[in-house]
Amino acid sequence: MSNVARRFRQLIIEPMPGLLFIAACIAGLEAMASAKWINPAFSPVPSLVGHRLWEILDSGAVLEPLAQTLGLLTAGYFLACGVGISLGLLMGYYRTAYVLFEPLLELLRPIPKPALLPPLMLVLGLGSAMKIAIVFLGALFPILINTIQAARAVDVVLVDVGRTFRSGPFRIIWRVVFPASLPMILAGMRVSLGLGLVLVVLAEMLTGAGGLGSRIVDLQRSFQAQEMYAWTVVLAGLGLILAVAFNWMERTVAFWSFRR
Amino acid sequence: MKAPAAPLSPGRRESDLLVIKGVSKTYGSAAQGVMAIRTVDLTVRAGEFMSIVGPSGCGKSTLLQIAAGLLPATVGEVQLGGTKVTSPPEGMVCLFQQYSRSLFPWLTVEDNVRFAFDHHASLDRGKTGERCRRYLEMVGLADFRRNYPWELSGGMQQRVAIARALAAEPRILLLDEPFSSVDALTRLELHGLIVDIWSRTGVTILLVTHDVDEAVFLSDRIALLTKRPSVLAKLFENKLPRPRDPVSSGEDPDFLSLRHELLSRVLDPR
Repeated sequence: MSNVARRFRQLIIEPMPGLLFIAACIAGLEAMASAKWINPAFSPVPSLVGHRLWEILDSGAVLEPLAQTLGLLTAGYFLACGVGISLGLLMGYYRTAYVLFEPLLELLRPIPKPALLPPLMLVLGLGSAMKIAIVFLGALFPILINTIQAARAVDVVLVDVGRTFRSGPFRIIWRVVFPASLPMILAGMRVSLGLGLVLVVLAEMLTGAGGLGSRIVDLQRSFQAQEMYAWTVVLAGLGLILAVAFNWMERTVAFWSFRR
Repeated sequence: MKAPAAPLSPGRRESDLLVIKGVSKTYGSAAQGVMAIRTVDLTVRAGEFMSIVGPSGCGKSTLLQIAAGLLPATVGEVQLGGTKVTSPPEGMVCLFQQYSRSLFPWLTVEDNVRFAFDHHASLDRGKTGERCRRYLEMVGLADFRRNYPWELSGGMQQRVAIARALAAEPRILLLDEPFSSVDALTRLELHGLIVDIWSRTGVTILLVTHDVDEAVFLSDRIALLTKRPSVLAKLFENKLPRPRDPVSSGEDPDFLSLRHELLSRVLDPR
């Protein structure tokens, strides 16, 4: 009973001021459009954007670009998770691996990842491989850096517990260091997910070969402003759904770090 | 230095189980480092309960870590059952001071216990579950096997750590101040529990503590270390009769005289 009341408060009452403010902004934009203060050829008119959005969703036109973008993002992101976590655990646990890879990492890390797009296009062309590669490179570093730091900071007592029960290095890494590092690894994965979405959309905008990014650029170049905004809303919705899903996953997977 | 012969508890066989031979430990470089242990020779016999006491900051925890195979000695060696210890050996488990840091928060109580042996035993999950329950029952926590460690009180968490150590079925348990991070009453309960486990299972125990009363109440022999760099100051035989009782044993003249000598030497180490 009180639990239901608390959920109601959390989901409906507490976010209410913020939601009302968004509604006010949309209404204001609509009013400015009616008063002809803004030009619908360039600026968003909420009613028109909403209408276009409904058409995109209702006709199923949203599916193909969305699936393409999501597929590229997923491929690059999971690749980055796999490599980032494995390499990070090795570098965090073995000093030799840390000393060997750390300087290269420090050299590559500060490069703004969009700057890697031109060379990647030269090497991998304009297709999926290049887009997966840029998502991978962008998503890799936050995961890798967080994993290394978390693995290095694991309490020596926990590792000694693993050792006193005669665990080999693989068992200590897999059953002690990895779970102990998981909350921080997930924090890195959250940052990477946002970065990955940015980079896949950017790569699509530059190559124009399908996906949400290229659809938005095509519409902008053909002056279909309201439809362009509708697709931007689709992109925003995708980002929101990914963030909410990630939150849920994080609380399920690393439940012990959310206690109290 | 050879330990003087002592009468053993009935039914216990005399043999040297753990031998610490000329162990010395220097942290940092030999020239500039800090010498924690100068030289210690100590022999733990199979089946006995031995304590190491010494002033704060003497190398007693370091010595235990070396004995456990968790830390290399700078000079000297440790032997378990005649075999040189270079890494944590079979048949020996170390129990750490802080339960809150030694239990895995992502595993249930039962899975924490299972961690002790599920990589060596080729048992199915039912069999391993049975073994977990047996040791959780021994510490009185069978009903809490599905809970997570952080849902339990401090004393209960240290019981889980004890059950986990026992589940590896070691011949010798090394205890690194395991009762120092719980409240005084819980400590007395855990003393009773550990003595009960010791007498029921026949496991050998080497305990490191700074609590003189605890050492006298629990052990057969007590090794007193000097302040850093440590050497063995004296080895005491504890003639306090068993079974011991936390109330009346504390009033026994043997208890009081041993406590008096140990405490005065710990407080004024030479």
